Amino acid sequence: MKRRKRVLALLAAACLSAALLAGCGGDGGSEETDGAFVLGDTTFNAENEEPDVNPHNAYSGWACIRYGVGETLFRWSDSMEIEPWLATGYERTDEYTWVITLRDGVTFSSGRPLDGQAVQACLTHLVETHDRARGDLMIESIAAEGQTVTITTAEPRPTLLNYLSDPYGCIIDMEAGVTEEGVVVGTGPYVVTSLKSGEELDLVKNETYWGGTPGYDRIKVLTITDGDTLTMALQSGQIDAAYGLPYASYPLFENEDYTISSCATSRTFFLHMNFESAVIQDDAVRRAIAMGVDKERFVEDLLDGNGYVAAGPFPDSFSFGGGAVTDRDYDPEGAKALLEQAGWVDTDGDGIREKDGQKLTIRYLTYPSRQELPLLAEAIQASLGDIGIEVVVNVTADHNSIRVDPGAWDVYASAMVTAPTGDPAYFFTTHCLDDSAVNNGHYHSDALEAQAAALDGAFDPAQRAELAVAMQQTILDDDAFVFCSHLQMTMISRADVAGLTAHPCDFYEITADLRPAA
Amino acid sequence: MKRYIAKRLLQLIPILLAITFLSFAMMRLAGSDAVLQKMENTGMVLSQDVIDAARAELGLDKPFLTQYFVWLGNLLQGDMGVSYISGRAVLPTFLSKLPATLLLTAVSLAMTVAVSIPLGVLAAVRQNRLTDALIRAASFVGNSLPNFFVALLLMYVFAIRLGWLPVISREVTLPNVLLPALTLAIAMSAKYLRQVRAAVLDELSRDYVMGARARGVPFRVTLTKSVLRACMTTILTLLALSIGSLLGGTAIVESIFMWDGVGKLAVDAINMRDYPMIQAYVMWMAIIYVFVNLAADLSYRALDPRIRLGGERP
Repeated sequence: MKRRKRVLALLAAACLSAALLAGCGGDGGSEETDGAFVLGDTTFNAENEEPDVNPHNAYSGWACIRYGVGETLFRWSDSMEIEPWLATGYERTDEYTWVITLRDGVTFSSGRPLDGQAVQACLTHLVETHDRARGDLMIESIAAEGQTVTITTAEPRPTLLNYLSDPYGCIIDMEAGVTEEGVVVGTGPYVVTSLKSGEELDLVKNETYWGGTPGYDRIKVLTITDGDTLTMALQSGQIDAAYGLPYASYPLFENEDYTISSCATSRTFFLHMNFESAVIQDDAVRRAIAMGVDKERFVEDLLDGNGYVAAGPFPDSFSFGGGAVTDRDYDPEGAKALLEQAGWVDTDGDGIREKDGQKLTIRYLTYPSRQELPLLAEAIQASLGDIGIEVVVNVTADHNSIRVDPGAWDVYASAMVTAPTGDPAYFFTTHCLDDSAVNNGHYHSDALEAQAAALDGAFDPAQRAELAVAMQQTILDDDAFVFCSHLQMTMISRADVAGLTAHPCDFYEITADLRPAA
Repeated sequence: MKRYIAKRLLQLIPILLAITFLSFAMMRLAGSDAVLQKMENTGMVLSQDVIDAARAELGLDKPFLTQYFVWLGNLLQGDMGVSYISGRAVLPTFLSKLPATLLLTAVSLAMTVAVSIPLGVLAAVRQNRLTDALIRAASFVGNSLPNFFVALLLMYVFAIRLGWLPVISREVTLPNVLLPALTLAIAMSAKYLRQVRAAVLDELSRDYVMGARARGVPFRVTLTKSVLRACMTTILTLLALSIGSLLGGTAIVESIFMWDGVGKLAVDAINMRDYPMIQAYVMWMAIIYVFVNLAADLSYRALDPRIRLGGERP
């Protein structure tokens, strides 16, 4: 009996070992990815409000457009100008009415031709189900006739085309509908075959794609949230390209085996001044802070060059961004002189200035969920310390409840996408005006309010750009905000992959141009 | 015995109430909520009206106690709620992650036992010799290395340099579980083998071992039939503790290997303030610890009949 038990135990152990060893063989990859292009991405999950590819759900439109499933009526060029995509042009007959002409010969991957009725059904469903789109587009009615759609807005909407270029504007076939998993049928170069939310997305080539022949027969998008894992997956060859790699990993791929594509995005790291704070109300202190922040050092040393020094809220890929405005130069000596003139002097020799017995101390609030923000806090603490300003840093996940209390902070550092639809109005309306949702520092400028009203009514893009420059200059001259850096968005692919190119709006990744390198 | 088991199971009720209430309270103290976390991740700014509406939809606008008792009331009716993040029902989502965690637990424990018991016994038998010194040194190194570092090291060697195993272990298969299980087994074995060594040394110093030797009983027989059996209580205690923590998922290892278990689910839920999912995880942890400890107590009794449980009469 005992012998039999022993034999059975040995057999069981042998079976387990055999099973384990059998699994050790092969190429090391268990995913069925042979022949497919595999993209590792950190963002495709419910935590980023991208649980699926249905553009009418939260921010899933980003996944729909990024992974080549859907396309919008208009899109952003490399120089961030609006150009037709599924549309061929438009005519604005009055401040409320837009007649959009659709491209001929486009079909959904279901085989249905793209026509006015299909677009009408899609946009109608969008504004019925998507709160943000409804508020942005302000569509009152949509009419369809042949290859044209006529959109009438409830209010004058100069930025309608910008909003139609937002990922939620991907045109999907509403007759095909939306599956329970959030899969839709679009006009893009790839078609979804399966989707596991937060895990993976399988795509196949759209055989009837209107814009050329897609480069891969199959594509798999894997959600990989850990940066080190993403790095090693690319190194090991388990994936062919990666989006969202940690900065520290970039040097591993700076060689001939990989292709790196980077560009500045409008995700910006910046400081808000709290105008309810007595110390910040002092013009000299605000200006000294603006002059004392060493942006170059932050970008070069702490971000290892993986960012772009910011002047205003928008990077230079926008006509109204980058050098179009003038910010304060880094000038620690000038900042010291300014503070001296304003009566802030270090009388007790402890390195911190005082005035009327009050130390020049700044309560600096920020949060840890973006890796760059705690680094920025350290950089600013050091550089302002050099000019005699003590910075007390509070890095907390609870910043949202603290920032609404004007008595709890002096300077607040945050990160945001300043121009998600390529238009400047969004940043000002959310941050700088009297009724802005996150004007927590209660900044007010009569000039800015007047400029914002003018921007509201301006339809001409050139006039909007001109106003945007003036508005940025207003807040910079008031030292109401200090813009430190723009995020550099980088995608890295293996050298045998071509056509994976970073775009300043961050919307376009998998396109028909993506293919094996020749 | 049955009465003892029933008593232990009844103790689960106050434990669950206390632990779910505490975790509910602690998550509120941590600040932020699911609506704000999602806004932060997308980098967009929502108006206060939109934020308020989203909070109201999730019931986050209600007072803390109301939220807790609404959750508890639903739980008593068998409804664990819906994830604030994915919008999917909590219970099926949670259950779908269990097979991965169970496999990882089983394989890592098997590896740990296979390594630590023989090496622990060998170190004890060869006390103060070179073998003992080498094993103890290896144990010291294993104990000193944090899990995330071991994971990255193993990935580098087995996935990048040798190409034998995948970096990402998402599918619940034996080959995929090897690296995460090995990562866990290295740390656990390092700890276990020292405990096994100490327990075996303690037994070897007892009179019955010397007596057996004097009577000419082969040392191998004494070791396997008596010493190891006597050490089983110590080993079982260690195993019970490890099973508890492993079944709760090993967040860091699961996250690094993209192993889709309950540990990764819990960390994601905590980061996003997904309260219903966190509560499910907390309840699971309480239940497994109670059951595993109960199983350990019962097995002590089986191994050593002298042990009495819960006031049992001799």
